[in-house]
Amino acid sequence: MLEKMKVLVLIGIIAILGNWVGYGVAPVKALPGMILIVLFTVIGLGLNMLISKMPAVVWISLIALIATTPIFPGNEWIVAKTAEINFMALATPILAYAGLSLGKDLESFKKLGWRIVVISLVVYTGTFLFATLFAEIVFKLQGRF
Amino acid sequence: MLKDWKLHIIVLFFVLIGEVIGVKQFNLGVGTIALFPMLYVLLMGGIVSFPKLKLMNEVQMKRAAGILGISFLLFVAKLGSMLGPSLPKIFEAGVSLAVQEVGHVLGTIIIGLPIALLIGMKREAIGATFSIDREPNLAIISEKYGADSPEGRGALGVYICGTVFGAIYLAILAGFLGSLGIFHPISLAMGAGVGSGSMMAAASGALAVTFPNDAEDIALFAAAANLISTILGTYLCVFFSLPVTARLYEWLEPKIGRTRKEEAK
Repeated sequence: MLEKMKVLVLIGIIAILGNWVGYGVAPVKALPGMILIVLFTVIGLGLNMLISKMPAVVWISLIALIATTPIFPGNEWIVAKTAEINFMALATPILAYAGLSLGKDLESFKKLGWRIVVISLVVYTGTFLFATLFAEIVFKLQGRF
Repeated sequence: MLKDWKLHIIVLFFVLIGEVIGVKQFNLGVGTIALFPMLYVLLMGGIVSFPKLKLMNEVQMKRAAGILGISFLLFVAKLGSMLGPSLPKIFEAGVSLAVQEVGHVLGTIIIGLPIALLIGMKREAIGATFSIDREPNLAIISEKYGADSPEGRGALGVYICGTVFGAIYLAILAGFLGSLGIFHPISLAMGAGVGSGSMMAAASGALAVTFPNDAEDIALFAAAANLISTILGTYLCVFFSLPVTARLYEWLEPKIGRTRKEEAK
């Protein structure tokens, strides 16, 4: 847990710097929001350890969601502070680690046949396209757009 | 994990370079390709970890993968903090959110299975097309068929492809489809919530670049759709996707399957 917390803090720092360079938000301004985001994550991880029937992702979403709903005391401040962190700036370091871990899968990737590569493209296209299409049809039927 | 300073310095360096380059869009005539920091750092990372270059060892790559899993939780917390203030908006789109999940589940099977059979895959097709084949799905398939079964190999193959190019592919697809102007940004955002962290991040990033005015809503609805996929995904997979794909295979294979002597790879 302590190790995980240290990793979260480290990623938080990298994201704050990325947020500064990419979105012009000064680190001092972004810091409270990042502390809150790390806090939600740690609470969610703790709950996941206690009640492991739900995945950590669900716990963390739930905690962050509750803390930012109008029923939660100080929610406006929490929303304003977490809004200083751009969601893209936070995702960038994560994908950098994803990139750096790619090498370990390249050997097994090279052994795959062409068929499975083609099908994986079809599968990703299918899931994205059909979900988009279904959402769009419902919105159109409801006369929303 | 934390001790590996070389790894973190590389990441910081990549992030800074990526953010300095910023967003670039290429017009292909029919549509645009959106490039943005997430994709640059992913590519730079992929190059540095390329086995032939020997810049990184297996242990460091495994460490990077471990950090990826933990750090994604921060992204989830950030998205969660956007959900709270927008709950009314999300409930208003409730029907679309529910129905789009059906699209996520059926989308892999509807076009995946027939094409797999047409190009000559056998039972691998079941594992390859019953879901997007991320970790929870791999567990489901190996429990039912065994990890070394044809079904298990099909699932693992798509899993490896997803790890290697899933995020980049979905980002390009999302940005391109978005630029065509057929779909509303919110529908596309829901489509981006495929149930895999890095793919959702990259796809919603591409959409946010394509529709800068809707960036907040895109993150919001991609996050909501992704959460639904995460919560319902496993159950749907066990009780619906896998049995249905297996049945459809038995029915379709004699009709459109190719006879081949060699084992499909």
